[in-house]
Amino acid sequence: MQKVWKNLTKSKEISILAIIVVLAVCITIVNPNFLTVSNFFDIMRSNSIYGIMALGMLPVLISGGIDLSVSSTITLCAVVMGKFLQANPGSNIVVAILLCMVVGALAGLVNGLLVTKFHIPPIVATLGTQTIVMAAVLFYTNGMWISGMPDWFLSFGDIQFGAIPSAGKVVGMPIQILFLILVGIATWLILKYTLMGRGIYAVGGNVQSATRVGYNVSRVTTFVYIYSGTLAGLAAVTDILIVKQIDPNTFSGCELDVIAIAVLGGASVMGGIGTVFGTFLGIILMAVIKNGLVLVRVSSYWQKVVMGIIILVTISVDVINRRIEKARLVHVDVEE
Amino acid sequence: MKIWKSIRENYQNELILFGIFVGLFIVMGIISPDKFLSAGNLQTMCYQMPEFGLMALAMMAAVLTGGMNLSICTGATVASIVAGCFMATTFANENPAIGVFVGIIITVAVAAVTGLLNGVLIAYVGVTAMLVTLGTKLLFEGLGLVVTKGGSLAGFPPLFLKVGSGALLGIPYTILIYIVAIVITYFLFERSVWGTQVYMVGCNETATRFSGIATRRTVLLVYIYSGIMYGLSGVLISSRYCSAKTDYGSSYLMQAVTAVVLGGTSISGGSGTVAGTVIAVAIIQVVSNGLNLVGVNRYMINMITGIILIAVLIVRYVSGALSDKKKIRERAARARA
Repeated sequence: MQKVWKNLTKSKEISILAIIVVLAVCITIVNPNFLTVSNFFDIMRSNSIYGIMALGMLPVLISGGIDLSVSSTITLCAVVMGKFLQANPGSNIVVAILLCMVVGALAGLVNGLLVTKFHIPPIVATLGTQTIVMAAVLFYTNGMWISGMPDWFLSFGDIQFGAIPSAGKVVGMPIQILFLILVGIATWLILKYTLMGRGIYAVGGNVQSATRVGYNVSRVTTFVYIYSGTLAGLAAVTDILIVKQIDPNTFSGCELDVIAIAVLGGASVMGGIGTVFGTFLGIILMAVIKNGLVLVRVSSYWQKVVMGIIILVTISVDVINRRIEKARLVHVDVEE
Repeated sequence: MKIWKSIRENYQNELILFGIFVGLFIVMGIISPDKFLSAGNLQTMCYQMPEFGLMALAMMAAVLTGGMNLSICTGATVASIVAGCFMATTFANENPAIGVFVGIIITVAVAAVTGLLNGVLIAYVGVTAMLVTLGTKLLFEGLGLVVTKGGSLAGFPPLFLKVGSGALLGIPYTILIYIVAIVITYFLFERSVWGTQVYMVGCNETATRFSGIATRRTVLLVYIYSGIMYGLSGVLISSRYCSAKTDYGSSYLMQAVTAVVLGGTSISGGSGTVAGTVIAVAIIQVVSNGLNLVGVNRYMINMITGIILIAVLIVRYVSGALSDKKKIRERAARARA
């Protein structure tokens, strides 16, 4: 128990957890409606989209890359699925989800090939594909909304699991949160227990060492982009299951939010560092801030200011902490 | 002759870009000679390009050090909003000359302060540039929203419009500002001690610090410089609308990155020229303006810009790989002989 506690206090995640707890306490004091199960489910449901994309972004960041094209991928998948469902209302949910994930995976494959075969820096390659795909989708849809999804599809989005009494109502866990949890488990398993996952950390830590140890760097790199694209596809399904129609404009610029979640959760854009648990905390932190500001009746104009300050403070504190730790390590070495 | 040879050796990439620019210009001229080559349109392009060009220079400064500045657009708008608060007062409207002059100074000064904030966090705290500017992007946007409440700030002295639309001896002020900025940037980055340090930091920061250069100060100054550049751009943007709003010019962010990369600046820092960026800006301007005139959908124009970016990078990689192969073969042949 003591060892677990020691590990926990040493880990980066504990500071994020502390921020969440402090924020939650403050918000609850001002507005007791915050700390209810139904509110928790509500905010997690609407943030599950960003959460799923952040879990896809995590391996990319760990491998030392970055994927700016998630915003265009999710839009592409949503529009493709919307058109598909309009044309085939007799289809079923499995086909719809698979279609989205395959389209997303293909978009990710393109990124992966640009990065590995043509050695274009990830930030530029994904910026380029983002511009191209987003423009193509907007050109095709002309920015118009797509609605009229089949009933079986919409009712799938209202599925809830369990029944928990909360604030006079009985609520269940929405299926979108289940998606988020399943994706989290899958990502955790991949990162922790597969050769590919260990390869992702190795490549992010040091490309040359990873190559010498025998990892196929281009295969690992291609995989992370495909994974990110696939999850963006799943996020597209999750989004349509919530809002029930497709607005091709909602997601432009969301890649920065997604990166912010992963980074708040302790992933480093320099690569090699990041955990699924941390990313989950990042999602919760982001959701708590967004929802808390509304509940505390902060004017919506101040929301971005607060978000910006929280991002800046979190990453600065993290860097300063790491520097202090490093200084201490050096000191010990000298004494010995 | 010798000068030409040295230009060809040192500025190969810029010459190719310039060739592309001339080619595109001719193609556009052939497609729609009456519209694209009309005096009115050429003038419009001259008025539009500086805003975008200054943003690209601001981005380039950050990219040269191996960083990135995502806060250029919101930094510019928050600066022009602060200045707008002053310019909308009755004092400024009663004394338009002083009001506009001070307004411009405030815009650039506030932008420099936003650059200072970025620079301190990046250079002295040591956070990755991309994350800092991601945070400050939100922060500046939020601050602008708090002041403007989502609307736009208007009521500036009419004289302010002159900054964006006036001309001296037939040359628009905007172009004059742009040219002065280009020349200053050229001398600062490619001909001064500080500029050399900037390129060194971009190549290898640790090695630069160990060779006795105050890398932190160098990087801090880069972001302040970046701030001044996007501040100037902010002046031009708000002058064009004669108002200030948070989402003015937000489309320049990704375009600026495109221009910088297209211009041959390495995204990992350490190499790139002012001339390359300036020509790339002109290329993008000609493409978007020309296609717009021909009646191509604006989404299609974005798509073509993206395709140009990716295509140039692929061509650059393939030609680099081919010339490497050729060199290896030559060396092998020499070794055998």
